[in-house]
Amino acid sequence: MDLKLDADDLNTCVQCGLCLPHCPTFRVTGDESMSPRGRIHLMREVQDNNAPLTDEVLESFETCVQCRGCEPACPSSVPYGYLMEQTRETLADAGHMTPTWQKLAFKPLANPTMLQAGSSALAVAQRLKLVPKRLGISEELPIRRKPLKATGEDVYFFTGCVMDAWQRDVHAAGMRVLEAAGIGSIPTNELAPCCGALHAHAGLADDTRNLAGTMMANLDPDKPILVDSAGCGAAMKDYGHLLGTEAAKAFSARVFDIQEYLADHLEALPTVQPLDLRVAVQDPCHLRHVQRAHQATRTVLAPHVRELVELDDDGLCCGAGGAYSVLQPDLSGDIRDRKVAAIDRVTPDAVASANPGCSMHLGAAGVPTIHPMELIDRALNA
Amino acid sequence: MSIIERVRRTISGPESSGDPLLDELRAALSEDRVKIDGAQRSLLGKDASVFDGGNSGPICYPTTTDEVVAIMKIAESHDRAVVPRGAGTGLAGGAIPLGAPVVIAVTKMNQILEIDEDNGIAWVEPGVINLDLTRHLTPLGYHFAPDPSSQQVCTIGGNVANNSGGPHCLAYGVTNSHVVALEVVTASGDVLMLGGLDAEPDGYDLRGVFVGSEGTLGITTKVAVRLTRNRPAVRTLLLSFSNTRDAANTVSGVVAAGIVPAAMEVMDQRITVAVENYVNAGYPTDAGAVLLAEVDGPEAGIDIDAERIRQIGLDNNATDVRLAGSEEERAALWKGRKTAFGAVAQIAPDYYLHDTVVPRSKLADVLDEIYEIADRHDVLVMNVFHAGDGNLHPLLIFDGREPGVLDRIHAAGGDIITASLDAGGVLSGEHGIGVEKQKYMDRLFTPDDLDHQNRLRRAFDPVCRANPGKVLPMGHSCADIQQLRSVPAEVWG
Repeated sequence: MDLKLDADDLNTCVQCGLCLPHCPTFRVTGDESMSPRGRIHLMREVQDNNAPLTDEVLESFETCVQCRGCEPACPSSVPYGYLMEQTRETLADAGHMTPTWQKLAFKPLANPTMLQAGSSALAVAQRLKLVPKRLGISEELPIRRKPLKATGEDVYFFTGCVMDAWQRDVHAAGMRVLEAAGIGSIPTNELAPCCGALHAHAGLADDTRNLAGTMMANLDPDKPILVDSAGCGAAMKDYGHLLGTEAAKAFSARVFDIQEYLADHLEALPTVQPLDLRVAVQDPCHLRHVQRAHQATRTVLAPHVRELVELDDDGLCCGAGGAYSVLQPDLSGDIRDRKVAAIDRVTPDAVASANPGCSMHLGAAGVPTIHPMELIDRALNA
Repeated sequence: MSIIERVRRTISGPESSGDPLLDELRAALSEDRVKIDGAQRSLLGKDASVFDGGNSGPICYPTTTDEVVAIMKIAESHDRAVVPRGAGTGLAGGAIPLGAPVVIAVTKMNQILEIDEDNGIAWVEPGVINLDLTRHLTPLGYHFAPDPSSQQVCTIGGNVANNSGGPHCLAYGVTNSHVVALEVVTASGDVLMLGGLDAEPDGYDLRGVFVGSEGTLGITTKVAVRLTRNRPAVRTLLLSFSNTRDAANTVSGVVAAGIVPAAMEVMDQRITVAVENYVNAGYPTDAGAVLLAEVDGPEAGIDIDAERIRQIGLDNNATDVRLAGSEEERAALWKGRKTAFGAVAQIAPDYYLHDTVVPRSKLADVLDEIYEIADRHDVLVMNVFHAGDGNLHPLLIFDGREPGVLDRIHAAGGDIITASLDAGGVLSGEHGIGVEKQKYMDRLFTPDDLDHQNRLRRAFDPVCRANPGKVLPMGHSCADIQQLRSVPAEVWG
């Protein structure tokens, strides 16, 4: 079957295998069909040799976390993320994966009213102890949220979907930190309801294109757009590739991870007493492997905490992967076990993670996870 | 899977596959640790080389020695061959399946069992990744010395099977010098302990026989590796030259001067450009060749050695000599060298990596000859090699979709091997013989030599079920895989 993969992209893989240890699913299974090299081999078998789409082949594609940890490890720069997204899009279109219930489940993300109503209902259910543990919702969700108000007009502050419903406090902290650096921000709220990252991962790229179009039409084309969720930032930086238009490329060029942006304005923050904490940095995959902007997290945290420590696992994924932790709970849990072991080895007081998915997933395993902006906000207001 | 097959499986349940071999393997391990689907079996048909063994038989993921023993006995009772597999990064086809053998994948045997500082060793399982072991040892001040370019992914079991080398083996010796004892399981399921922790174990050195045997004597299930103390000080030099000949002569000059560097690696211009494009380590892309030289040891005296190397380079027309100023710079330079093979896909989608060794004094001449051979066969060659020990790695780059290109690649490869042997070299430095160089074995060994190697192999594996069809050339009994195909190749679908 034609997966609609670019033959040249597919051919950049020389099957050297250097990606294997950087793949979380290979690490926990030892099974090469769960590795990037294996998955690319299967893409070739399906596309070039018309190999049947067996359950095992589909499982190999479905179990990819799309962390893209293999990309920086690849000396041939295979665009693995694009290959996997295209594979999923083709297979979802043909009805081989992403069943209807999943397609429906992603719909409310683009509708803030519906999402927040649903989220409040979930928060109530949580207090009534009706929410199953395997959903991995570690923290107590808010029933009501204080609206975010603009602090100026220098930049946009992207608020998004699930994160705005569940972790609006992080947005508020980020906006306060920016304000302390003299940067006024406009929360995007309903101007930009959702980035579409989860849709793209599930092979629903058309939904992502629509959401990107809405966002681009609604936002003033002169202002930078700051994002405090690594997954959203990575998706928005990819609109240029996804839509292929000049306008989309220009839009993507205006998207910054908030740590990345703040690192260039650090001198504008007041000097304060650092928090008395030993903090481990957990790099979200889409910040480290996709945006490759993870050094900025260290730059902005260093003046605000007593000690920063690095994990020794080469930035291996934590297993959150957007909806992955719900769709592949077993693998996701095994991957998290490795991450938790790496965290335990450096005995931190807290773990800084700049992505809501990672912090929820690690939080569910009892790891004290906090967004870098919240740490800085605390230090500034101590 | 057809609908009928699907229904049949649903009704009869997974435990009755209809195949006694599969049923017994699953009973001995577990349902989920014996794989049989076509996707996986085609995947394991290849390693990192150009050779394709076709679909493997059942793929087993044991976690204990006892399970390996059980697999061997079950395979024996069904008269099936057995092939071990680590990370599948071999470059000579040593782990590819021939005749649909049972595959023993050791990736789940990945525990570091014990670190014994008193004896200076660590006991590890074969699926431990080389670099993971070194990282685990780092806080204690040790490392595992063999550092193949693939060290971030290759397994200790694979290192043992291929007697792997690496850039730093120039000073420290290859895998054989770093393995003191091995627990192995033979094809008939016997568990043997080879070697030992004594400095000089009694009797024949069967450990030495096993290291580098490429799975043809059995499979290792526990390895006692030597711990090597980390170096107090390191200096890394990057020397640029206008051609590979000057670089090669510098290498000979350094050794002749009595310096023992930790590593000396040469890359020609084509590969340097590809590497620099990936790592941005500051490799000069306008140089005809670069030499990466490293000295290590106590802080006192190390700068003297570095300066002597610099001077020898300048005497051999080095156009630039740079000392890595920081650990980051040093790490970036090594990252470039170690990912060189993978980086070539920027130029063409396929590569064929050779691995011959020539006397150091002949390096420059053989290199010239390799460029001529490539021109003659109209193929693109890049050279990257462990210059210090004369281990050449000519890399032939091509696009496999081009009709007839593989014939030219193989012809050029044959000429390169001939040129290396004619210069007094050997067939393989570290990648092994596998299926790649069997047909050249009789150029290096007499029939008598080969006959004795064959007898040695049979002492461990009388019926030739351990990785058959590898190493020994066709015509020798264990190489003749046709005999072993007691089941048709298509039996697994």
